[in-house]
Amino acid sequence: MANPLGRYLLALDGSALPSRELIGGKAWSVARMLSLKLRVPPAVVITTDACRAYLETGSVPAELATELDAAIAWLEAATGRQFGGDKPLLVSVRSGAAISMPGMMDTVLNLGINDHTEAALAAEAGDDTFARDTHRRFLELYASIVLKATLGENTPHDPRSLREEIAAQGDAVPEAPRAQLLAAVNAVFDSWNSRRARRYRQHHGIADSLGTAVTVQAMVFGNLDERSGTGVLFSRNPLTGDLAPYGEYLHRAQGEDVVSGRFTPEPLSALQASAPAVHAQLMQAAATLESENADVQDIEFTVQHGELFLLQTRSAKRAPQAAVRFAVDMVEEGRIDTRTALARVQAEQIRTLLKPRLADGATHGATLLAEGEPACQGVGAGVVVTDSDSAEQRAEAGEAVVLARGTTSPEDVHGMIAAHAVITEQGGATSHAAVVSRALGVPCIVGCGTGALAALNGQAVTVDANTGHIYAGLLPVVTPDESDDPRLAKLHAWAVAASPITVLRDGEPGADAAFDLAELEGGEDPEQLPALLAGKTCVRGGAIESDAGVAAALAAGVKTIVARHPLPVLLAAIHGAAP
Amino acid sequence: MNVHTHLALHGVAVKKHGSAAAIADLLGADEAVIAACLADATARGRAAEVGGRYLLTPAGRMIVEAEYSRHYAAARADQGFLAAHTRFESVNHELKQLITDWQTINIGGRQLANDHSDAAYDGKIIHRLGTLHDKAVPVLKALATSLPRFARYLDKLEAALGRVEDGERAWFSDATIASYHTVWFELHEDILRVLGRAREE
Repeated sequence: MANPLGRYLLALDGSALPSRELIGGKAWSVARMLSLKLRVPPAVVITTDACRAYLETGSVPAELATELDAAIAWLEAATGRQFGGDKPLLVSVRSGAAISMPGMMDTVLNLGINDHTEAALAAEAGDDTFARDTHRRFLELYASIVLKATLGENTPHDPRSLREEIAAQGDAVPEAPRAQLLAAVNAVFDSWNSRRARRYRQHHGIADSLGTAVTVQAMVFGNLDERSGTGVLFSRNPLTGDLAPYGEYLHRAQGEDVVSGRFTPEPLSALQASAPAVHAQLMQAAATLESENADVQDIEFTVQHGELFLLQTRSAKRAPQAAVRFAVDMVEEGRIDTRTALARVQAEQIRTLLKPRLADGATHGATLLAEGEPACQGVGAGVVVTDSDSAEQRAEAGEAVVLARGTTSPEDVHGMIAAHAVITEQGGATSHAAVVSRALGVPCIVGCGTGALAALNGQAVTVDANTGHIYAGLLPVVTPDESDDPRLAKLHAWAVAASPITVLRDGEPGADAAFDLAELEGGEDPEQLPALLAGKTCVRGGAIESDAGVAAALAAGVKTIVARHPLPVLLAAIHGAAP
Repeated sequence: MNVHTHLALHGVAVKKHGSAAAIADLLGADEAVIAACLADATARGRAAEVGGRYLLTPAGRMIVEAEYSRHYAAARADQGFLAAHTRFESVNHELKQLITDWQTINIGGRQLANDHSDAAYDGKIIHRLGTLHDKAVPVLKALATSLPRFARYLDKLEAALGRVEDGERAWFSDATIASYHTVWFELHEDILRVLGRAREE
């Protein structure tokens, strides 16, 4: 067991790995990094036992208050800082059950700050603005998360007025760090019984008695001096799948600065140049974590006074191309088996890779008519129509149309469904057109500029929503194929071997026998497929290639699907059949 | 135009291509009354019916828009309703960002389509939708205090949120069903029409 500080508290020191049930998922991942001898900011965890006692009696167990003092002393010793002191220790407080669920308390950061520690932090960092900003961020988070106050948009920035404004709404934010900590712990336990958490547990059959743990971890700062900074590292490139680690580093900055986009990060080579030893440690840590987790990792880190701390690691999000490359490469490196590789590539990712795109050189010499911000990627071509009713009518008559609007509203949805692409003059990434086209999977470019599109009415155009360019005429478009790329071909072969059903391409022997769902009323509606598929063994068309269509086919005992692209169907079948 | 007919045609304006049943459901009105109003409006050339679904004719659109100020004079003068609308716009701003975060994902500094392969990412966004909904509830209740039919939207939003939280992802923003975003957008359109305001992108 890690290092017990009492009945309800453990200090995480890497000595042993406690169970997820006892310390929750977040503390468990911290403990795991420690057990791999990686440097993580010191942390203690209040176990789920304390939560269960709280749920039974309605109050924090008496021993916990005493144990918290021991925990703070442990954190102070581990960091060389003091909670509420002249070299202030600030902490984060997180909820964490064995299974993560919605409705649980969000993380409170920078807890332990008040007027006194703000001044101490300002002196230490030589930066008044940073200290005041840290204080303000804490007050805002504490107010919304622990006190559930709703602060308006024009809240004051200086901590004193902000504290007054919060107090005017009900409870005040305590000055004393220890009181802040106790209240935050209580709020975590209370969140276990929030409406959403209860509902989620009920729906997923999770016992109410599982309880949540509370992780209290020392904050580290990437902006304390010239030898400090913060960044993120992917153990391989998440866009291309390339083997080289990929990341960003912000010199003398905090984690929030990376997320906020207010600062321009540098590539990791900047860290390599300024602190080669730290960079080498980081690369070593990335290799260890990738190897231990047998998957590409997304690692958040901070360098404080030249010392590297890992904050978090998780399986990296990845672009479709990278998903394929990671999966195939890791099989070849002997890290995973083909079954795991297939589980890591989604049908949707392959559909994206196999979407039609402009042929190489297609835009050479083409006339660029307009350009805007790509909102939903893809390529679509057709005649420009400027009202949604005509777009729908002409599409029904078999014409390929591109819908061009100033902006779109709910009145345009039917026209957007009918169009091969949607282009708008006004609006950005969050506009109605952008949101709805992404939901529909229709290529879309927004914000081409007032007056930029109306004149195109009636003209044939090609919309390249990968780049945001609209070209005159119908440019040559190619549809990629599974066999074009050696890795896709390999994945395809594994998928054929693992699939519970046979998937044929058009024209292959046996494909002619397929029953075409497109001939039936409702064949495009996945909800109607169970009824339509009864008794069929070989099917094509309609909604059969969608995830829901494949699921319905599996349930109905269909043996063979004929598809334009077999791989997404195979993957959907493999994932749908897995327990 | 009487109040029922205006309401029915307003329903068509918000839910274009809706059936009488869908429009009655949107408005929380009696289906038979709505169906009769729509049949009458179709006969007078104010609406057109295709396969049981309705849309407004250009003339119908003009008349409906001209009469909002008459039918909704009370709401337009109601300070409570106006204040609730201001708060709604602020939550609306957040919702648009949230929907975008649901549909796209930042990978290595680039914004790509969210293929929903990262359950943890989706879980966080669903958590944020629940938090936003909790914030929207008092605003919707305030709107419904002035115009009781707005309570329908709250029921529909809660139903969509529940399905999303139960793992039915499509109910977040699918444009072809009464997803959270679809209902929210119809509500927004409804409020703007009632107040005679233009949408800001």
